[in-house]
Amino acid sequence: MDPILKVQNVSKRFGGVEALKDVSLEVKRGSVTGLIGPNGSGKSTLFNVITGFYKPDFGSVYFDGKRIDGLNPDEVYNMGIARTFQTPRLFGPLTTLENMMLSPKGQRGESLLRAPLRKTWLNEEMQIANEVKSLLKGFDMDGLYKMLASDLSGGHVKMVETSKGILGRAKLILLDEPTAGVHYAVGKNLFEYINYLRKTYNLTFFIIEHRIDLLFDYVDYVYVLHMGRLLSEGTPEEVASDPKVIEAYIGGA
Amino acid sequence: MFDISSFLISWFPLFGIYAVLSLCLNLEVGYAGMANFGLVAFYGIGAFVAGYTSITIFLTFYGYNYPIYSPEAIIAMGRVAGKTPWLNISVFILSLILAFLIAGLAGYLVSYPTLRVGPAFLGITILSFGEMLRVFMKHFAPTGGAYGMLGIPHPFAWIPDPAIKNTSFLILTLAILIGVLIYFELLVNSPYGRVLKSIREDETASLCIGKPVPQIKARLLFVASGISGVAGALYAFYLGAITPDMFITAVTFEVWSMVILGGRGNNFGALLGASVFSLLNRATSILNFLFSDLPIDPNYFRWMITGALIVIILMYKPKGIIAEKPIKTEAWKIFGAYGETKKKLIDSILRIIDYLKSAIYWLIGRETGYGPDIKGSKRE
Repeated sequence: MDPILKVQNVSKRFGGVEALKDVSLEVKRGSVTGLIGPNGSGKSTLFNVITGFYKPDFGSVYFDGKRIDGLNPDEVYNMGIARTFQTPRLFGPLTTLENMMLSPKGQRGESLLRAPLRKTWLNEEMQIANEVKSLLKGFDMDGLYKMLASDLSGGHVKMVETSKGILGRAKLILLDEPTAGVHYAVGKNLFEYINYLRKTYNLTFFIIEHRIDLLFDYVDYVYVLHMGRLLSEGTPEEVASDPKVIEAYIGGA
Repeated sequence: MFDISSFLISWFPLFGIYAVLSLCLNLEVGYAGMANFGLVAFYGIGAFVAGYTSITIFLTFYGYNYPIYSPEAIIAMGRVAGKTPWLNISVFILSLILAFLIAGLAGYLVSYPTLRVGPAFLGITILSFGEMLRVFMKHFAPTGGAYGMLGIPHPFAWIPDPAIKNTSFLILTLAILIGVLIYFELLVNSPYGRVLKSIREDETASLCIGKPVPQIKARLLFVASGISGVAGALYAFYLGAITPDMFITAVTFEVWSMVILGGRGNNFGALLGASVFSLLNRATSILNFLFSDLPIDPNYFRWMITGALIVIILMYKPKGIIAEKPIKTEAWKIFGAYGETKKKLIDSILRIIDYLKSAIYWLIGRETGYGPDIKGSKRE
């Protein structure tokens, strides 16, 4: 299968800290790919480079054959890459429904000129609402549509964050520690859900995760970052038995 | 002594102008979360553009060659202001349009360098822009420097009866206010309003779902600053004379207090705040006028009352008197809550009718079993 995301020789430096050093990796279309590494190894920086928050000092990023490094975050989203953050970033005082309905890109009613003309966007709005409803029903949350996002439970927040990308017609979803702060069973549920989404919507997932026990049951391929460099890569079994990885995690000399 | 109709005539235009301003500020602060501490700059730009345009056109039309701030020009304006109704009206409309465009453009340009950084930068930049502009205008001869401009032609100067003239202006101001209110209500109760709120809550997350945040903010500032400029133009026509020192930073914060009192993120809250503070403004002036032998000028109390109100509101109703509500597109109907709300509405109406009924029975003294205890009214 061809890679949907290609990161080539990316380096990123913050003053004296080399956050990423010559990192190259590929995410295959339709796969669930993991990215692990100790704290401070550059995982989130890599995500930020891919989604346009940082411009790489060196190297390039290709998505679907097009070069995307140097684009702004909103442009990257419109290309088809959605992402979540380590700490959930829903819009607190907005309802669940409003939060979900923000995701579809290029909505007509979002332009300053068309917004006062209700007729021009109402149909589209109702279609999106229908889609949101069926999506929320998928994880039994359609009763919570008018709940403020700040009142949702941690598990529900994760579900909403993960599925928002589908509304945006994303092809690749980057998840930054999806199971941080949730119970093992809920985390397992979430990964089942990710698997289900991948099959139903032909999505590709690229996931940062510290819960390796959970992650390894669900991923096809794993990259390991350590001190800004790619330490190891391979199937979960290969990575788990790699002595370099074990040393990095336990902390050798 | 106290004439209610002249009080209304002096209150309503002021209310209209401040309400337009607070609606604009509410759109920027309450919806998009942009800390605009320099609203007065665009208000002032609108006022000066309107004053300069209208006086220049009048003088040119009647073939006078005086500079617009000279005493001769002011006398000449007094002579010709009521002669040509069509010129008054068309100059008024032209001034509003120019005020909108120039103030809007100024808002767009000033904010441009700061939109990619945090809200504090925007606030401080616009704040200092407003202050610099005021000082500059004080020394800018073509618009009269510190003396400002006098003799701005009232759009209804051709009506001889001052009561009708002022009432017409009042109606015009309120019509513009209603227009702005309807426009803003339509604007925010749409996917666009939802995007603005998302920017207010978390700019980064909003960028991450594909919203071009800097562009949205710049365009919003164009519209909001432009409409603030229209309010400034109305103010210039209302007073007939403007000086740079009318546009001090305190005006901005008065509008801020209106938005805070009424409720951020709610257009009707902004209206309520504007009505409270403009009423306070008029009331203290009128007290001063009615009782001329007061030991202390009541106008000094105005700012104290303003401060006290803000503190009370922030303590007991931090979201403002009318709190923010979810935006009203019809998306939630898909979830079938419409029926529920309707039922609740009918229910509460029935309950109110019940209370009224028992109150009436109690008043006419009929034995009904309800008794005077209205709270205990029973309806199965």
